[in-house]
Order: sequence, then structure tokens, then C-alpha cells
Amino acid sequence: MIRQAFTDLFARLGSTTRRGIRPPTLRESSLRSRIMPTPMPDQLLLPLQDYADPLAREHDRIAPCVDVGDWVAKYQLLAKGKEPGSLRLHAPTSGTVQAIEQIPAAAIGQRPQLAIRLLTDTDERELPLEPPSDYRALAPEQLVQLIEEAGICGLGGAGYPTARKIRDAVEKNVKTLIINGVECEPYISCDEALLRERASLTVKGAELLQAACLADDCVIVIDNAMPAARKALTLALQGSSISLRVVHRRYPAGDERQLVKAICRREVPGEGHPPDVGVLVQNIGTAVAVYEAIVHAKPCISRIVTLTGSALLTPKNFDVPIGTPVQHLLKLCGVDDKEHEFTIRGGSLMGQYLLEQSAPIEKTTNCIIASNSLEIPEWETEQACIRCGYCAQACPAQLQPQQLLASIRSEERQQTLALGLDDCIECGACAVVCPSRIPLVSYYRAAKEIHREEFTSHEQSRHWQARFQYHQYRLKKNQDRAQPRKAVEQTVKEAQGFSRDQARMEISAAVERVRRRRQALAGGKDPGQEKSQ
Amino acid sequence: MKQRLFSSSPMQFFPLQTSQIMLLVILATLPAMLVSTWFFGYGVVLNVLFASLIGLLCEAAICRIRGRAVRATLADNSCLLTAVLFGMTIPPGTTWWLIAMGMVFAIALVKHAYGGLGQNTFNPAMAGYLFLLLAYPLDMTSWHLPVAAQDFTSTHSPLGWQGLLQSLGCLFPFLPVLGDGLTVDGLAMATPLIESKLAAGNAIRAAMEEGYGLFARRAETGWELVNVAWLLGGLFLLATRLISWHIPLSMIAATLVMSLLYYSPSAAAVLGTPYLHLLGSATMMGAFFIATDPVSAATGSRAKIAYGLIIGVSLYSIRVWGSYLDAVAIAVLFGNFCAPLLDRLLAPRKYGHPGFFAKLLGNISRRKIT
Repeated sequence: MIRQAFTDLFARLGSTTRRGIRPPTLRESSLRSRIMPTPMPDQLLLPLQDYADPLAREHDRIAPCVDVGDWVAKYQLLAKGKEPGSLRLHAPTSGTVQAIEQIPAAAIGQRPQLAIRLLTDTDERELPLEPPSDYRALAPEQLVQLIEEAGICGLGGAGYPTARKIRDAVEKNVKTLIINGVECEPYISCDEALLRERASLTVKGAELLQAACLADDCVIVIDNAMPAARKALTLALQGSSISLRVVHRRYPAGDERQLVKAICRREVPGEGHPPDVGVLVQNIGTAVAVYEAIVHAKPCISRIVTLTGSALLTPKNFDVPIGTPVQHLLKLCGVDDKEHEFTIRGGSLMGQYLLEQSAPIEKTTNCIIASNSLEIPEWETEQACIRCGYCAQACPAQLQPQQLLASIRSEERQQTLALGLDDCIECGACAVVCPSRIPLVSYYRAAKEIHREEFTSHEQSRHWQARFQYHQYRLKKNQDRAQPRKAVEQTVKEAQGFSRDQARMEISAAVERVRRRRQALAGGKDPGQEKSQ
Repeated sequence: MKQRLFSSSPMQFFPLQTSQIMLLVILATLPAMLVSTWFFGYGVVLNVLFASLIGLLCEAAICRIRGRAVRATLADNSCLLTAVLFGMTIPPGTTWWLIAMGMVFAIALVKHAYGGLGQNTFNPAMAGYLFLLLAYPLDMTSWHLPVAAQDFTSTHSPLGWQGLLQSLGCLFPFLPVLGDGLTVDGLAMATPLIESKLAAGNAIRAAMEEGYGLFARRAETGWELVNVAWLLGGLFLLATRLISWHIPLSMIAATLVMSLLYYSPSAAAVLGTPYLHLLGSATMMGAFFIATDPVSAATGSRAKIAYGLIIGVSLYSIRVWGSYLDAVAIAVLFGNFCAPLLDRLLAPRKYGHPGFFAKLLGNISRRKIT
């Protein structure tokens, strides 16, 4: 028992740091081989954020522009949003649209999504691409337009449409463009693999992004745990105006806000975004996608995904067509069924357990971990919080998780908000270091959900209250108006002695008048308009 | 498996549990316990053992009553740690029912009545000790040591079997172990937490002048070494980051600054020397083991520093100008009173939000404009 305590103590010592944690990296196994192309699966599932879905983020909402049964070519536009700058979805290969259907939620906390099921064929017939003759001559707005048409979104994980982000940045007059190559999750290696193998494309993409967002300078940031990528990048950066910065490995150094602070020594205001302090942050993968979109006019139809975990025989990075089912990739890596207990989508610190192995790779999926309890032990039983404050030390947002937990438990809403629940980025560093194994992120998510619900119900009640008050006002107004109406009622009463025949004659005369007028007007106008006259 | 799929990120966690932290802190008290035993005989160990027994029994009973998992609660080692600290603060040779009373007060009232581990406002060990001090001041200031521990000329060692019997006899007066004409001497002197108005310091000086070595078994000279042992344990906690530097450093610094500020060679007998204030009493134990109890202390870095300063200053004040015998326990409890407020007032600046002073400046400038 004592020996175990000392072992654990020293194991922990190397991993703690201020404003974050330093978990051991587990990227080596997936970086042993090069990025592999993916053989096309039989069918692809291309998720849409549905327009009918009221809970979808506005810029995510796209509607299909193909029908069930249509044959589509590779690169053909499948779905797009109504608003300018919203996302687009292209066919990763040629095939037939088999269905547009609801697919079950991939993980807890997600909703079932609408998706296009594409039966792929082996021809891979593609639309001719029309790359610009000289991409260097393009104006910034044209570059952004190309990026928008290619349907690129932030490939780091947040998935915000890149064109939108750039336009926002241009509006706010950004000075610095940061290309984010800092990999802070222990397992994910897709950005590092990309840098190792396609450093020059990254640099070109970064230059194009810089031209598009009109930034004065551009920095590519990586961490100090990727020497091979650093070497490749240094080589690719020769003769370029872009500079390279290496930051210390720390989770979550790759978070936008952390990066802005590390590079520009400025903090992004609480409710703001990096452009508010003159910085635009883009991911390495996004930079490469931008290069492809502008130089080759190629839409974003694939991304690099890390496949790793102890249940896989050969972990590696794949260049995966969007919509590929996870199980297809697992098979390619050789999954050991006896070892395979669960699959994680995303990293082990911010990802989710996959409920469905058939869930597709999306534009924001960077990693799939097939693992078991030996490698990633089950979360231990929650114990009492002893306010040790390790979580506060680890919090990159500089919050006090121990205080937050107490106020969430006692349901003090104001206090919870004052302690900065909305500033929490859910990185989970606090829960990782917690010696009492309190799943703090679950608490935050639940509290955020409750606050959101309370807020909407509050808004709704306000809305209905306003409606009711207006109703009352209208009733009162009508009552007031009823006073002069008495005169009208008087005349009606006086006219009570009318004869039925006379009324009939008057009605038939009116009908006749209408008919005559209709005939007079040559049928050009529609009758509805006449009626209203 | 199924249950796991419904849990939220993160999936990984660092080793080291709360129970292991408690265990390591208990281990860190070992040097002090060894040195104390060397100087004062088995009374210290017996105190700790008996307090642990009572504490565990008491906690088990309360968990039963509260409908909590008995085994899991006892396994978190927090009760043991309380018992160890409590046992080492009360004088060796205290009668069993006093220890039992203090421990039950600490566990039942101070800890569980407030909601159990993590909920108590006050440090249970210190509250338990203070309860005994207020109720039985005489017993809490007189040490019953084996004869050999007081009389350095004695041929017996207090660590011999006779010393053990004598200590047992003190703990359980009803046992007939003291039959062979062995007696236990009562000595009114400073407990680790009690300054006894600096009498110990004078005694140390006298003993040194008489030419006894540091390790000569004289209760008075033992204090420095006991303190050094506490310091060693504390440095271990600090080096392994089980505690942060904020509280111990600020508390020691405050004590040092206060004692330097008021130091004058002529009044040293009354006000004490800085050396005496740091090593002649329980400052080290208080700074590294008592004030750093996370449950009842402040948690933010700035709040922790303020907390340490408050304890340090009040420690000195109570020692020198106060009428109470004890300083550390009262100072720590006073700090406990302040902790929640400190946490609130000195909350760390959140990322992307103005800090305390920026807000203040913002308010002032806004006021000027309007």
C-alpha cells in the first residue's frame, strides 16, 4: 500500500504543471507509418445539420440539394446552407444517393442527425476541377469565396466554417494569423503526421490564409514534443515570411485562447473570440485544406484521422474520406476483437465514447481510439472533495473548480456564473488531476445544460407574458373603441325594419356588378385581387 | 462497459487518490514522531495509537448512523491523519478518557456534524485539542513523562520496557503496571503547541550552557530537533507537491517578520528571539501540517498567502501579547474562520476577465466620467 502510494506519487509528479497538465504522450505508435490512403468503403454516411433542427447551430445548418436515387459525381455539391458563409458538403466519391435519413446519435450528449447515405461505385468519376490559372493573382475576397465553395471548416475540432471566420477576422482587422500545430491530447497525432509529410503544403496554405485574412504576420506554432515535424517545418519555412514558434508541451496548450496568450501575450476577453484581440487562429489541417481548395480547386472531402489504441494491431494515420464509417477504418488497422472493449471518438481527454461503430468520420473527427480497460482504466468511484486545489492549479481558464463544484451542488446559479462556469472550456484537466476522482466536467455540462434550459424557459415565459400583455392591451383598446361604436349600433337598430326581399335584391345586384366588372377586365388579373377590391 | 459509454470526458486520470495523499502525509509525520519518541518516550506513540483507535471507532459508528459506507469512509485515511496530528499535539501521558473525549469531539462534532470529509469548516485535530485545552487546561499543560525522559542522569532509557510501562500507566491509570514502585513524574511544560511563555527557550539556553549535546535526552533541548523533524516532513510534502508553498512560506515569513520587528536583545526573555519563534515551538508543525489541511484552509494562491499571513501574525500576537497558552491551534482556527471569505475576496483572476485592481480602476474611471 505504501509502496503503491509512492509509485503513484512519483508517476504524478512529472505530469503536473501550472494551468494545465502534462500527460505522457502516446503518439509514437500511430506515427510509425506514413499517412495511408483509405480504400473507399461501400457506403458513406454524410451527416447534415438539418435546417429543420431548431437546436443546430445556425452556421452548421445545411440542407441537401440532391434527391434520393440521384447519381452524384465525385466533388459534386451535396448540401449547402442558406446563409452566405455557411458550410457545404461535397461527394467524396461518385455513387448513388441511397437515402437521406436519420442516423442514431454517435455518442451521449448528441442528437440523432440527418445524413445522406451514399452508395459508392468503383468508377470514381469526378467533376472536372477548374483551378485558377494564377492563384497568386486572386483578390482576398476571391480567396475567401474559394474557401467557402470548398466547404472548409475548422478541422481542429470546433468545425466553425473557415470562410465565416476569415470574414469576421477581416472585419475586425486582425494583425496576426496563428497556424495551430500544437497537439495537446496524448493520443492524437494527425497534425504532427501532416506536418512531417506535408510541411510545404502547410506553409503554402498558411500563406494563402494570411493573404485572405490580410494579417500582417503569420506564426506557425508547434510544441516541443515533435522534433521530426519541427525539422520538416524549418526546411519548408526557408525563404518564407512566416515564423515558427515552439511552445512547451502542455495540455491544453492547443486551445485557441491558450495559444493567443502564449504567442501574443494577450488574453481573449471572456465572451469574445481571438479576432477581438487582433488574432486569427487556424488549424494545420485547415491550412492544408485551404491550399487544396485554392490551388487545385478541390473541395474538402477528406481529412487526416489518427487511428490508435491498444486494440489495434497497426495504429496509423489515415487520409479518410468524410463519411467513412468508423468500423471500416478499424478493420483496416486490424482490430483485435478480444482486446477491443470500447471506441473513443476524439482524444482521450476531450472525446466521447462511441455508441455506434457505424458512426461516420465527420470533418471535425480527428482521432479514433480503440481500447480496453487495461490501457484506459474505468473511472474510479467518486469521493468527497477535500478542496486540495490541484484542480485550480491545473485549470487553464484560471477558474476554481472546487468552488464551482460546491456552488453547482448547492444549485446557486448566480454564484456558479460568477465563478465563471461559462468560461470553462471543458478541457477536463481538473478532473484528470482530481485525487477524489470527481467527474468535474460532467458536473459542468449538467449545470450548463440546466442554465440553458432555465434561460430558454425564462425567455419563453417573458415572450408569452409580453403576448398576454399585448392581448390585454388590445382588449382594452377595443373596449375603448366600443364607445363611439354605439352610434353605429344605433343606426343598425334603426334599420331593423328592412325587408328580406329587398336584401336579396341588393345582394343579387352586387353579385351582378362584380360579374360585370370581371368581364370588363380581360382575364389578365387574378380573381383574388379583384375579390380584395 | 455499458455504464462507461454514458460517462463524460476525460477518460484518463492521474494516479494518486485522496486516501493515498492522506497516507503520505501520515508518513511525513514519522520523523517528528520518531524524534518525539526519542525525547519523550512512548507516550507520543501511545497517544497516536489510542487516538486512532477511538477515531476510527467513532467514525465507523457515525457512518452507520448517517447511512454511509463505513469501509469506504474509514479507508480514506483522513480520520487516521486527524488522530495522528491530535495525538502528537496533546501531551504524552494524557489519560485515556481525555484523548477519547477530544477525538470524539473532533470526529463527531467538528467533522461529521458539518457533513464529513471536505465539509468541515475547522481543522478537526486543532478543534479537538482546543476543546480539551479550554475544558482541562491543567491536564493539557502538564506532561507526564517517564522518569528517564526527565532525568538525563538516569540509567534507564525512556525507550526501555520500564518507560513503556510508565507511559502505559499514564494512559490507563487503572492498569496495575506501575506496581513495582515505578513512578511517573509530572512536569508542567510546553506542549508542542504551547509556548508556556518562552520558559522552554530559557531552559534550552541553560541546558546548552551546561554543555549537553543536542541529542542529550532533555525534554527542553528536544524542541529544536522535533521542529527540525517536522520541517523535514514538511519539505517532503512540499517537494512532492502534496502541499503548495503558499501557506507554509507565508506563515513562516509572517512569524519571522513579526519576531524580527519586535526583537530587542533586552526584551528577548519576554518577546523571544526569531530563532525561538521558528524552532522553539510548534511553528513548523503548524505551518506544514496543520495550516495546510486543505479542507479548512483557503484554496486560491492569493487567498492561501493571505491565510498564511493571518495565521503567522496572529500566532505571534497570541504568543507574545495574548493570555492564552496556546498559539498555533488558536491561530489556525482563526485562519479557518477567515478562509471562506478570503477565497471569495481573493479569488484568482479568470482568464480573459479583468482582475481585482483593474475592476477597481474601471469603477473609479467610470465614476469620473458620469
